[in-house]
Amino acid sequence: MLFFVARRLLYLVPVLIAVSVLTFVIASLLPGDLAYVILGDQATPENVAALRHDMGLDLPIWQRYFGWLWQILQGDFGRSFRTGQTVLQAVSERVPVSFELMIFAELIGLAIGVPLAIACAAKAGSAFDRLMTGSAFGMLSVPTFLSAILLIYLFAVELRWLPATGYVPFTEDPIANLRFMVLPALTLALAEWPGIMRVLRSDMIAALQEDYIALAKAKGLKPSRILFVHALKPSSLTLVTITGINIGRLIGGTVIVETIFALPGIGRLLVGAIYTRDLIILQGVVLLVAAGFVIMNFIVDMLYAVLDPRIRHGHA
Amino acid sequence: MKPVGRAHALARLFLVAGFVSAASATPAGAQKSGGTLTVGQELDIPGFDPLKVGVYDTSANTAAAAIFDTLVTLNDKGEPQPKLALSWSHSDDFKTWTFKLRPGVKFHDGTPFNAQAVKENFDRQKDPANKCRCAFYISSIISVQTTDDLTVVYNFSDPSVNFPATQTIQSSNNVMQSPTAWKTKGDDYNRNPVGTGPYILKSWTAGDRMVLEKNPDYWDKGKPYLDRIILKPLPDAQSRFASLQSGEADIIWDDEADADNILKAQKDSKLTVHTYKGSGAAVYAVNTKNPPFDDIRVRQAVVMALDRPKMSQAVSSGLSRPASNPYGDGSWVKCKDDGALPFDIEKAKALIKDYGKPVEFKMLVTATPRGRTVGQVLQQLWKRAGINMEIEQVDQATIVPRAFMRQFQMTPWRIVDLADPDPQMYANFHTGSPVALANYSDPELDRLLEHARSTADIDKRTEDYCAISRLINKQAIWFWTFQNTYYAISNAKVKGVPKMFNGVLDVSTAWKE
Amino acid sequence: MATLELSLDETATAPPKRGRRLGTLFWVAIGWMLLVFAVAICADLLPLPSPTDMDMLERRAPFSAEHWLGTDGLGRDELSRLIYGARISLIVGLCAPVIGLVFGGALGMLAGYFRGRFESIVVGSMDVLLAFPPLILALAVTAYLGQSIFNLTCILGVLGIPAFMRVARAATLSLARREFVIAAQALGATHARILLRELLPNVLLPLLAFFLLAVAVTIVVEGALSFLGLGVPPPISSWGSMIGEGRESLDVAPRLAFLPAIAMFLTVLSFNLIGDTMRALTDPRQGAL
Repeated sequence: MLFFVARRLLYLVPVLIAVSVLTFVIASLLPGDLAYVILGDQATPENVAALRHDMGLDLPIWQRYFGWLWQILQGDFGRSFRTGQTVLQAVSERVPVSFELMIFAELIGLAIGVPLAIACAAKAGSAFDRLMTGSAFGMLSVPTFLSAILLIYLFAVELRWLPATGYVPFTEDPIANLRFMVLPALTLALAEWPGIMRVLRSDMIAALQEDYIALAKAKGLKPSRILFVHALKPSSLTLVTITGINIGRLIGGTVIVETIFALPGIGRLLVGAIYTRDLIILQGVVLLVAAGFVIMNFIVDMLYAVLDPRIRHGHA
Repeated sequence: MKPVGRAHALARLFLVAGFVSAASATPAGAQKSGGTLTVGQELDIPGFDPLKVGVYDTSANTAAAAIFDTLVTLNDKGEPQPKLALSWSHSDDFKTWTFKLRPGVKFHDGTPFNAQAVKENFDRQKDPANKCRCAFYISSIISVQTTDDLTVVYNFSDPSVNFPATQTIQSSNNVMQSPTAWKTKGDDYNRNPVGTGPYILKSWTAGDRMVLEKNPDYWDKGKPYLDRIILKPLPDAQSRFASLQSGEADIIWDDEADADNILKAQKDSKLTVHTYKGSGAAVYAVNTKNPPFDDIRVRQAVVMALDRPKMSQAVSSGLSRPASNPYGDGSWVKCKDDGALPFDIEKAKALIKDYGKPVEFKMLVTATPRGRTVGQVLQQLWKRAGINMEIEQVDQATIVPRAFMRQFQMTPWRIVDLADPDPQMYANFHTGSPVALANYSDPELDRLLEHARSTADIDKRTEDYCAISRLINKQAIWFWTFQNTYYAISNAKVKGVPKMFNGVLDVSTAWKE
Repeated sequence: MATLELSLDETATAPPKRGRRLGTLFWVAIGWMLLVFAVAICADLLPLPSPTDMDMLERRAPFSAEHWLGTDGLGRDELSRLIYGARISLIVGLCAPVIGLVFGGALGMLAGYFRGRFESIVVGSMDVLLAFPPLILALAVTAYLGQSIFNLTCILGVLGIPAFMRVARAATLSLARREFVIAAQALGATHARILLRELLPNVLLPLLAFFLLAVAVTIVVEGALSFLGLGVPPPISSWGSMIGEGRESLDVAPRLAFLPAIAMFLTVLSFNLIGDTMRALTDPRQGAL
């Protein structure tokens, strides 16, 4: 086991290095010379040249990359040229928001998806099953930017049950925080549950065909017990996986929901950094987010290894 | 510069210019103290340090109006009134302005506001070593001197007749910041601004909210009325309006692209629409060094194919006001003849035919819903005249460098709302300026710009600017689509919001009923 | 990563019960797909008004004989935009997954067959691609390359490669241990022969099933990118960009958002119904893999 952990940890190193290179290259590719962006009307050729020199933009790209990497290894991710905020400040302010949003969305998604999946698997091929699978696709094809505004009109403007936009930190006022989070999380969950339901449903249908289920039936166990214990339990591993994948995918992918509901999350920070060419923020935050993703995957892998011993001896 | 909403205008002209509606200042005594006002803004404010952010955007202006004070403000009629300055006078040639400052004013950090502070604010922005983008708007001021603790003298290279009016906008150039604070806080000053204004920055979470608390020691006793102002960036126009309807926001910034909601709010008795017709316009520059725009026939055809009233219908349900010159109704420059080319599709077609070759070009368009809509409508109007425009969508940060490097055939730009046309007109059209985007050089145009700059007489300057407009319109090196109009929508209970002079939504004097 | 092997399950859904008989739903789905493809392909031949010509004074006009589905926010014929939009949505929605299918499929098969260092490199580089927030990648690359349907398709295609790679690799891994492959190896078949003749036909099935899902997802994602200003360049319409534009006049003319949404829904649904049915027909045991 220890050997397995060590090997997986070692594997993280090249991946993280590659992520940092990719991050840096992508940020450098963005068109629009930073010096012109900063100087605006003062962009005389002399000023541009001077500023480029000050910012080190006239150095070759590999030199800039190693300079940046060296700073990061010393724990200095840099500061935004626009706001003066450090990358770490910006990330620590925004990560909790996006993180809560993702967890909340995933929970709602599971709460809708899992029962439906069980119900559908139990009656696979029935009218109910088809109706639900159909609605799942219906939800998939409503883009979040449309469902978000519809939910706002319904729950905030018409019914006045929930606030339309805004955010309060959980630590400040938990109830208010949840009220602000319901609609954005629901919007995301509406796009999440179809996936959860589909995967789990097929998984369970497969499980229900296994020999041990037949055996359980032959032994006269209650159908509900067969469904929940014998079929759902082996599928839970799948559930862990999709949940992990979904959360990973949501990192930085929540920007539309964050924009519409005015949540101060990481997605808006990143997109704003691209639009204003705030490269220090962009590089730093993307690197941190990507590292977070890689490490989370590592943890999921470890969980697997614990749950399923075959993996650590197998080919993973 | 593009989306920087700034605006000034000369006092007497506001008597001429009409205003659509708005809660204007009500008589004293009706004000109610206390309460919290939440403002829904369009943009996330980057900060307040001029050296970091250069110029303030429209959202930063609103915050600056509460945290800081300017030397001069405008009254309801648009006349300059004392604020941090008590009085002012000028030399005969208008090349020197002397301001007497209000005594006993302190910054939020307790340090005194005085002539030295004014000078330090100016010097910091003017210093070439700081390469501040903000220096663009103070290029005509040579220096600021202090003659005593409460007297400052501004020296100009050319006559500056409208100087007090130009000082009223809550821009990075004009708001008075605490020199002690920026020196001690360094990089952190940008997000921890210190001014003399009626509200003090209490907390600020990027992307979420900025909380401003009442300044108990404000020099204008009895003001401000509100206990707290909360500024929230609500980037999506639809959900911003929904937030106003559902009560999360008391007042929101809006623009004419969101015409449906503005029209809806005008019919809603629970809402008040604030609007202001500023000077300046949304404009486009063509690169006259490259085909097809090196040919005047093509340039003129492009302008003559523009059906502005119809375009206004399409992009903003008719709210946009067509522009025929760069000054607009809100400016003191009034021309009997601005030389605008008429809308004449047949003439445009004839010009293109005369040119002989197919006219095809690419226009830069910002990758926003607004940019796309306007781009598509223009494309359509030109297509009717046989001109093929291809939309090249780029983000905002790409437009500026490409414009300065002249990597475009046609680019959108904006002439913002300034009290005097000189800084922008000179920069946009004088040979050799980095912003002279059309790459067009004409000795007559240069002569007129220089003359308008160095003349104090308002009638002569008006004549110069009208001649400039005629020349540009005839050559069609730039063209103007719509004049600047500013909008905000509030709950009807919100009172005391002044006219949006300079395109700034100033809530620092507001109260809630 | 340990998640890889399980991705295959996403493709295995159809209950065997439904598999053998093609319900009416299936034929309805086929009918809708044929209709969409037909009008999209023949759009130029149909007697439609131009999808870009504006009648600026006739904005958001209701249904009429002249404009069957009314006009959009800029006075353009809604039906015509829907049909031309189908073309774009289908081009992007089909071509992008093809990129993922070809590159991801090939990489996954090679990785699953040859294993060793090559597999580590492939899996590692896919992890890098996955770790990068996809939207940020799309934004940055579009800003660099410029907006065009081609670039958009390529970006969406590249973003889909890791998923296809996982599916192909997982299938190859499990197949490589099967008797028929081992037998072929024992008979001295070349690697190329085993990959192409023995493995490919079997890996192709789950890949194609996944492909249909990817088509649906891509059509929706293109819409999301349109919202951020990254979609197809105007004045071309796609269903996603039409929903985005219609969103601004939801209370005045909700149909402008809902008509393209319904078209998208029916198409996505049809693709999946057909996919499910085909999978069930070709390999009923998939679900039990």
